[in-house]
Amino acid sequence: MSSAAPAIRAVGLAKRFGPIQAVDHVTFDLAPGRIYGLLGPNGSGKTTLIRLLTGLARPTAGHAEVLGARMPSRANLARIGYMTQSDGIYPALTVMENARFFAAAYGVRGTDAVREALEVVELADRAGSVTGTLSGGQRRRLSLACALTHRPPALFLDEPTVGIDPLLRVQFWGYFRALAEAGTTILVSSHVMDEADRCDELMFIRSGRVIARGSGAEVRAQAGTEDLEQAFLKLGGEADVTR
Amino acid sequence: MSLRRLGALFRRVVQEIRRDRPSLALLFIAPILVIGLLTFILREGVTPTVDAVLVNEAGVPGDVIAEALGNALEEEDGSLSEVSDKAAAEAAVRDGGASIAILLPEDLATPGSPPTVTLITNGLDLSGEANQIAALQKALVASIADAAGMHLPTVEHETVYGTPSDDPMTNFAPAIVGFFTYFFVYLLTGVSFLRERTGGTLERLMATPVTRGEVVIGYTLGFVLFAILQVAILMTWVLGEVDVPALGPMSAFSLGLGVVTAGSPLLAFAVVVVLALGAVSLGIFLSTFARTELQIIQFIPLVLVPQFLLSGVLFPVSSLPEIIQPLVKLMPLNYAVDGLRQVFVRGADLGVPELQLDLLVLAGVAVFFATIASFTIRRDVA
Repeated sequence: MSSAAPAIRAVGLAKRFGPIQAVDHVTFDLAPGRIYGLLGPNGSGKTTLIRLLTGLARPTAGHAEVLGARMPSRANLARIGYMTQSDGIYPALTVMENARFFAAAYGVRGTDAVREALEVVELADRAGSVTGTLSGGQRRRLSLACALTHRPPALFLDEPTVGIDPLLRVQFWGYFRALAEAGTTILVSSHVMDEADRCDELMFIRSGRVIARGSGAEVRAQAGTEDLEQAFLKLGGEADVTR
Repeated sequence: MSLRRLGALFRRVVQEIRRDRPSLALLFIAPILVIGLLTFILREGVTPTVDAVLVNEAGVPGDVIAEALGNALEEEDGSLSEVSDKAAAEAAVRDGGASIAILLPEDLATPGSPPTVTLITNGLDLSGEANQIAALQKALVASIADAAGMHLPTVEHETVYGTPSDDPMTNFAPAIVGFFTYFFVYLLTGVSFLRERTGGTLERLMATPVTRGEVVIGYTLGFVLFAILQVAILMTWVLGEVDVPALGPMSAFSLGLGVVTAGSPLLAFAVVVVLALGAVSLGIFLSTFARTELQIIQFIPLVLVPQFLLSGVLFPVSSLPEIIQPLVKLMPLNYAVDGLRQVFVRGADLGVPELQLDLLVLAGVAVFFATIASFTIRRDVA
């Protein structure tokens, strides 16, 4: 792990919905320029944790810091990218209109950054297409581009590869790696264990708690297993991991 | 508040509606068709002819009335024939030979207590039959007066404001323009904002520096632009009247409803725009409580129909039961209908206190709902 100041911090972060403890006093530091995988089954608290980190949900205890600013901070949102689990784009707008709208919402002037984001996800040639006419994979790519238009140093991706084909998944991880190499800190949630090895570091989450953390090899060694799925089952103590 | 972000939100709403052809049709074509149809029905509706049968138990005085009544009905393309008794009269009404039966009692001309004339209808279309009864009562009174050698006075109606008009649209048009704008703007905003909530775009928008106030104002500006266009088209349609000359096989016709307004159309326009501002906020607010687009429509009987019934659109507010009169004051549409009638009928300008109050209440309602609508956004965030 880098010794630089953490890009993302969680300090005793907790969120309760009535009787359900969705996030259970989680503490961690994430270094800049790395890809962190947040892995866990459906309902384990991944989305809630991301919403707490981005300031979209109010914690019942603890706090989050992103890029040195305590969340929620509206001003800081201009430096954070967030790709939601659903596409979160407007089907009636064109690809360019969607990207320009989110860029303007982030306060971006001009169209250079917008074009660059569309080029990153290889949609520049579809800029004039109405979003509703795109394929599912293209809509996911546009959704990612809308989170990149302001060149955010911190990027939260909530299950970005759900429902997309293996080829596009490989492309996505190529984009993520390029962004991390350019200095972006990425926290990507997934319940697909075979994506884990593409991350620099993993956090296994179960019932709102981080149950293991480290590189893929470290987590495997910690659990004494050959693959991550087995490691998760062993560390989690239960056998209902969604693949 | 960032003008750049507001501009982006406004543009986004406009771009989205511009491409949504069914919504555009709903906004611009549906009200024109419905108001056009309504005007046609109200102006061109026919008074049903009265084909009556009469049972005369009154003897000679009854004969005199029957003759006068028969002449009066025939003048209106109706008819009157005599039958022997009540059973025969009922049979004639039952089998469709007559639309109404009249029973003149034995004591018709007896001095003392006033006689009772019985009218019998088949009871299957009470509102249509009420028209026949009214027409017959009028003819009956005239016939009795005639038989008695009296002349009924002619009643003349004058008004303090405007000119008494036999065009039902003079009173109805302001109310219906207000209602349609309110209805369509609410429906479109509610459905559109529900899509924001359920499609994940609102969540995403809230992860940007956009404030909830900017979302409400940006949305309002976008939808009010379309409301302004809608009202402009509606007003032109309702107030305008252009005679199109005959051309080839096409005969001459008039375009527009030609409703007469005593006041400024621009002021009426302003009243509807302020009403539309409130409809946008109401749509955003109620979208919080809906999970599907169908549920937005299900709010209509709860939110819009009571306003339709209690705001003087169909029934004059003064004729409503006393117990629900206070509720009228809570209906935003009531102030719009009143404001529009102030302008259309009274010819009110901005100096008229009643119109000032209407505009003030409508603006207050818009601000109130905009404020509570903004609190329904990002409810879980500090």
